Amino acid sequence: MKAPLLCACLLAAATRAFAADDFLDRVDQALTLSIFDDQVRTRVSGLLDLEYYHYPQPPPGLIRAEDHDLFSPRLSFFLDTQVGPNIYFFVQPRVDTGFDPTDLGTQVRLDQYALRVTPWDDGRFNLQVGKFSTVIGGWVGRSLSWENPFVNAPLPYENPTLVSDVELPLTGQSFRAVPGSDKYEFLPIIWGPVYAPGVSVAGRVGIFEYAAEAKNAPLASRPESWNDYDFGHPAVDLRVGLRPNEAGRFGFSFAEGSYLRPDAGPLPSESDPADYRQFVLGQDISYARGHLQIWAEVFEARFQVPRVGDADVFAYYVEAKYKITPQLFGALRWNQELFDSGRDPTGQPVAHGHDVCRIDAAAGYRFTAHSQLKLQYSVARDDFISNHLQGTFAAQFTVRF
Amino acid sequence: MNGNLLLRLFVALSLTPAACLGQATIEGRVELPKSHFAPVASERYEIVSKAGVLATYPPRAVVYLQGDFPKPSALPTKQVAQKDFAFAPALLPIEVGTKVEFPNLDDTYHNIFSYSPAKRFDLGRYPPGEKPTPFQVFDKAGLVTLRCDIHEHMRGLIMVLDSPYFTITDAAGHYRLTNLPAGHFIVKAWVDSKTTRERPVDLKSSAVLQVNFP
Repeated sequence: MKAPLLCACLLAAATRAFAADDFLDRVDQALTLSIFDDQVRTRVSGLLDLEYYHYPQPPPGLIRAEDHDLFSPRLSFFLDTQVGPNIYFFVQPRVDTGFDPTDLGTQVRLDQYALRVTPWDDGRFNLQVGKFSTVIGGWVGRSLSWENPFVNAPLPYENPTLVSDVELPLTGQSFRAVPGSDKYEFLPIIWGPVYAPGVSVAGRVGIFEYAAEAKNAPLASRPESWNDYDFGHPAVDLRVGLRPNEAGRFGFSFAEGSYLRPDAGPLPSESDPADYRQFVLGQDISYARGHLQIWAEVFEARFQVPRVGDADVFAYYVEAKYKITPQLFGALRWNQELFDSGRDPTGQPVAHGHDVCRIDAAAGYRFTAHSQLKLQYSVARDDFISNHLQGTFAAQFTVRF
Repeated sequence: MNGNLLLRLFVALSLTPAACLGQATIEGRVELPKSHFAPVASERYEIVSKAGVLATYPPRAVVYLQGDFPKPSALPTKQVAQKDFAFAPALLPIEVGTKVEFPNLDDTYHNIFSYSPAKRFDLGRYPPGEKPTPFQVFDKAGLVTLRCDIHEHMRGLIMVLDSPYFTITDAAGHYRLTNLPAGHFIVKAWVDSKTTRERPVDLKSSAVLQVNFP
């Protein structure tokens, strides 16, 4: 009953948003400021997201909530500043109920801020310093609600493995015996856009692209780790890519870094959290032409787990979006995450994870250039809790200003 | 000899349409709003960026004559290009029924669309040099806001008019409407989506009328 009621409210809000479209265009103009004869220009913009989830317990992905329904509003602001043609600065603060949807109350965070220097006009070299999203993969660029055809992220970016950065297993057997309610203690292969602080260089020369970054935390690290500003054991991420034309893009990525938090325990004697690392190999490919967009990514990740050894995981997804009419689009995504098994250092058999497959189907409608409604239904088969199919409904209404 | 010349002149004048004989002109100045600033491109997730765009973005007004005019048999094709991540021109007045092409002159994809009631369309993603050049025919009067689905900061306007008599001001607001028919009309100055000024005018053959919109 709650879901239809909420959808009705969202539709009512959408109607109001349609009337406000011209107003939001004016707000956009009013929030663009310029000084020094247009050499310094600043624009403030934002996204208001109203999200609703209905799911079985435990909730899917990185959602943390005790009920079967969750309403998760989010307000994101973006400050983009261009100083001359060669310097770009951006800031992204956010007010929500947590970096991932929770029922734990309101948070205010500074997710991103960075300064980028582009010495040459052709983009062959960019230097960026600050706290910003990872250069790895191909999903980050569409992670915000307006660009993402779905409400959630692909499986590799949000599905917890059995690897924890805090609670370490005492034996190989205890590695698998994880209660579902503690899912937040465990890490996905990549934690969303990974807004970790660091420095990056990136560029494009002809059809070739490159990017490299050194950050304080690796891809799997949780948002709390991003804010530690401890660069004692920096993570390194690399991506080289090929863009033969504007329609297609292919990239190969490598990342590694120590993923355990300083308070992780219990550690084996004479070992240090920095001794245990995450390695990721990734490939991303995308194609866009006309009204069709297709993306796919493959990740092979290895976590070095104390007392367990190497826990390997293979994950991939294939995603497509098609604009059916100028305002209506549909999207479909197939995700799968497969874990290997092995023996712990004592010779005990140990499964390194619980295989998951999930299909996401979504439809979106843009009422105006500033408002959008997305409805999504996901079906997952996850032996984490049971072998049964689990369905999740999600709705997201977005106002862009 | 002189009589023959006068006769020829009389015949020529007799065959000239009255509309051509009595073409009127309106000129003047529209008070434009305070200059808008050039847009700022969002490149937070596009870590490989090219140098920032510093194109100017001055406001303009469209001045047109409102009335009941015959429909033309053919209209010239117009163009709104995407160049340097901006629409060029940023404001285009056209007559109902005009075909507008949207050539991509940048070195990346664009995806032009409009949700305006006067024309809803989405051209999809297309590369520079796309042939045939993506186009739309604008068959309903009204204001059409152009946007790019890839580059959020891009915005352009097409003003579709029921009149063949229109012009666009310069950056200072000056305009000149020529070749107008004689008669009683309303001249309008569209400044933005919330501001359209108008004046009734009596146009006389070969006269130049001064109309300012303060």
